[in-house]
Amino acid sequence: MEELLRMEHISKRFGNFYANQDINFSVAKGEVHTLLGENGAGKSTLMNILIGLYQPTEGKIFLNGQEVRIDSPSQAVKLGIGMVHQHFMLVEAMTVFDNIILGDKHAKGVFIDRAARRKEIEALSEKYGLDVQLDKLITDISVGEQQRTEILKALYHGAELLILDEPSAALTDIEVEGLFAIMHKLIGEGKSIIFISHKMREVLRISDRITILRLGKVVGTVNRADTDGQKLANLMIGKELTESQYEKIDASGAEVVAELDHVDFNKESKHSGLSDLSLKIHAGEIVGVAGVDGNGQTQLAQLITGVLAPDAGEVHLKGKRVAVFDPNGFIEHGVCHVPEDRNLQGLIGDMSIAENLVLKDADDARFSKGRGLLLKKRAIGDYARRMAEKYDVRCTSVDQSVRSLSGGNQQKVILARELENDPALLVMAHPTRGLDIGATSFVHEQMIGARERGVGILLISADFDEILEMSDRIVVCFEGGIMGEFSGKNPPVEEISLAMTGK
Amino acid sequence: MEKLKKAFGACLVPLLSILLAFLIGGIIMAALGADPFVAVKFLFQGAFGTKAGIGTTLTKATPLMFTALCACFAYKCGVFNLGGEGQFLMGSMAAFLTCYFTGLTGFAGIVLALLAGALAGGIWGMIPGVLKITRGQNEMIISIMLNYVATLLMGVIYTSWIRDASVPQTPAIDEAVHLPRIVSGMRFTWGLVIAIAVGLILYYVLFWTNAGFRLRAVGYNMTASRFNGIPVGRYMLASFIVSGAIAGLGGSAELLGTQFRLINGFGAGYGFDGVAMALIGQLHPIATMLVALFFAVLRVGSTTMQAATGVPTSVSDIIQALVIVFSVAGMALTKLPEFEAWKNRVFGKRKEGAA
Repeated sequence: MEELLRMEHISKRFGNFYANQDINFSVAKGEVHTLLGENGAGKSTLMNILIGLYQPTEGKIFLNGQEVRIDSPSQAVKLGIGMVHQHFMLVEAMTVFDNIILGDKHAKGVFIDRAARRKEIEALSEKYGLDVQLDKLITDISVGEQQRTEILKALYHGAELLILDEPSAALTDIEVEGLFAIMHKLIGEGKSIIFISHKMREVLRISDRITILRLGKVVGTVNRADTDGQKLANLMIGKELTESQYEKIDASGAEVVAELDHVDFNKESKHSGLSDLSLKIHAGEIVGVAGVDGNGQTQLAQLITGVLAPDAGEVHLKGKRVAVFDPNGFIEHGVCHVPEDRNLQGLIGDMSIAENLVLKDADDARFSKGRGLLLKKRAIGDYARRMAEKYDVRCTSVDQSVRSLSGGNQQKVILARELENDPALLVMAHPTRGLDIGATSFVHEQMIGARERGVGILLISADFDEILEMSDRIVVCFEGGIMGEFSGKNPPVEEISLAMTGK
Repeated sequence: MEKLKKAFGACLVPLLSILLAFLIGGIIMAALGADPFVAVKFLFQGAFGTKAGIGTTLTKATPLMFTALCACFAYKCGVFNLGGEGQFLMGSMAAFLTCYFTGLTGFAGIVLALLAGALAGGIWGMIPGVLKITRGQNEMIISIMLNYVATLLMGVIYTSWIRDASVPQTPAIDEAVHLPRIVSGMRFTWGLVIAIAVGLILYYVLFWTNAGFRLRAVGYNMTASRFNGIPVGRYMLASFIVSGAIAGLGGSAELLGTQFRLINGFGAGYGFDGVAMALIGQLHPIATMLVALFFAVLRVGSTTMQAATGVPTSVSDIIQALVIVFSVAGMALTKLPEFEAWKNRVFGKRKEGAA
């Protein structure tokens, strides 16, 4: 098949961090080429380079055999590259028609020949089966129709290469079928598609070729015919099992610190809900939750820390049923949380390190007189300096805003706050995401230390190696449910990765 | 060191804004044919030159301090109360009606009227708060709308219900409930003392208590506050009520100390002036009060300036507007990473190593 796009030796560096490193990637005419990889594997960076939002640090891009420089999104459109973002870029208060002609390059004069434009769009819509109601407002149409509008818009602006970023994430099953039918039509007409997804089943159904990214590098490009879910999962998460340096513990006899009993939350959504999930966490063990991102892990973490309330089912903390779902109540029951987004959920960026460290207990007698009536700022400062030392927070002063710290040091501030509260249950969501090796191993050491003090730990991570390294017990999250439970000692890697794909 | 750096960053923008505003104001004065140095001299002389002038400046500053503190407190909690004016008016109406109907005089009458004003302002502030928290409505729009409701309600009072003969104003309140002056020969009253006390209390609450600490945390990052067990909705509602009560208290102090009656134009513009002053004061209660005083100086002094040099008072308005423009622009500027880098260079700090 004739080659449409070739990206050669693409690297993109941010500071010392390579988001993309020496990536080779090509798309043929009439092909669906899937980019597969975990969050943070570098898919978005690569696509942002392709649509002109980023300039590569190194590497070349060829379109139809000619080298091109794509220095802006409008340049990308001109070259026939159209992207349908995961979160649609539509003006909600305008009609479908107006959205499609927005930024139209056909228009010569000041006025828009609406009748002619309309005919063009209707012809395109007919040709590719992109059924949309042109005169409806975006707010009045379904998500699937919004997506068709986006695709139609890209085609109208002359796209030969379509990038679909997680197009099925927001769709119902029936709408996904419709989308696939459209994709077949598009490649039948010689268009090419880059499909970004981490849903194995869809990838296997629709792709011609699959390129797997991991940690910013290409792990491999395979033909659909030569692979299966198992092989892909192995490539995606890295298959070599290294012996864990930590001893694995069987804590099944210990006290149950937290229990989810047949819990439902937003059950209809397979990727942002939980359905009939049951899970026990004992004191003094690390339970690892493995799974491809977006199978309910976020909801699981927020539910067991009181941020979300279940639609059905019960939550028990230390044997007591929880009646009111509110983070404060959970904190009082000894639940601590290292949330997945440390800047948004964990820290008050504009406040100082010291203030963040005492955020939960400034009314404690150590830090204030009269239960919060007069803060003892000196005591808070002294405490913060002690914590900065104990948790190795590298800063010039504890009065420095926490925003000015590196990610690793921010995470240590959160760890210090949560662990010093002497938790019974510690929920950690992606605790080492974006951290360097030193900070990562510090976090891991702290986890082991907490486990030895009898803390029950729920570790949610998209980093499969981390799950294998740390967990005493491994459960797999798939489409909002638990797909299997495995021992952390000599974990059956093949079985676990199969479970992650829903088999 | 770190604290010094923060203080430096916080003071730099307002001071530079004022300097730049005067610079441009001076150019305009020169273009009008006046000597800017002389004009500015008269400006300050008008505000501070005589005992009566100082009294007038402080009187003018008092209501501005209240509405500025009202905005300051709400913004600290991350909610945008643009209803300072309505809350101010509700406070003045409540104070007036209390005096008018109870006929209480003396200390008891004053205290009751002030409390009634604070209560009315608090309730008026609570409405957008409740609608925001329970219904997710935009608090800015609702609080602005409530300003009109308050203005029109006051209009009904002084044109129909309690009109002073044929004049569209209410009768004045009894002299026995006037807020007493502190220094004879100077117009300002105990209202100023109350304003300063409120400012100091806000400073203490915001920076020295756990409640204020948590309130600021909510203002900076609502999500993280919720994840850390802070009842976000309760804090937001409380800040609406307290902020409304401050404005309401200001309205009653203005009525009892300066205006004595409800009349067309009572408190007009104070609400939005307060918002601007709170922003220039970097949402610090004490700085906010100083900014309110500065604005009062510009307003009072400009009349003297016009009389002495012929420079119209509108030049003073231009300076006030420029201070606002420069402050807002400056605050956006300080958010840029380049500014942070520059500040670090000034303080000779090496960037911490990535860890």
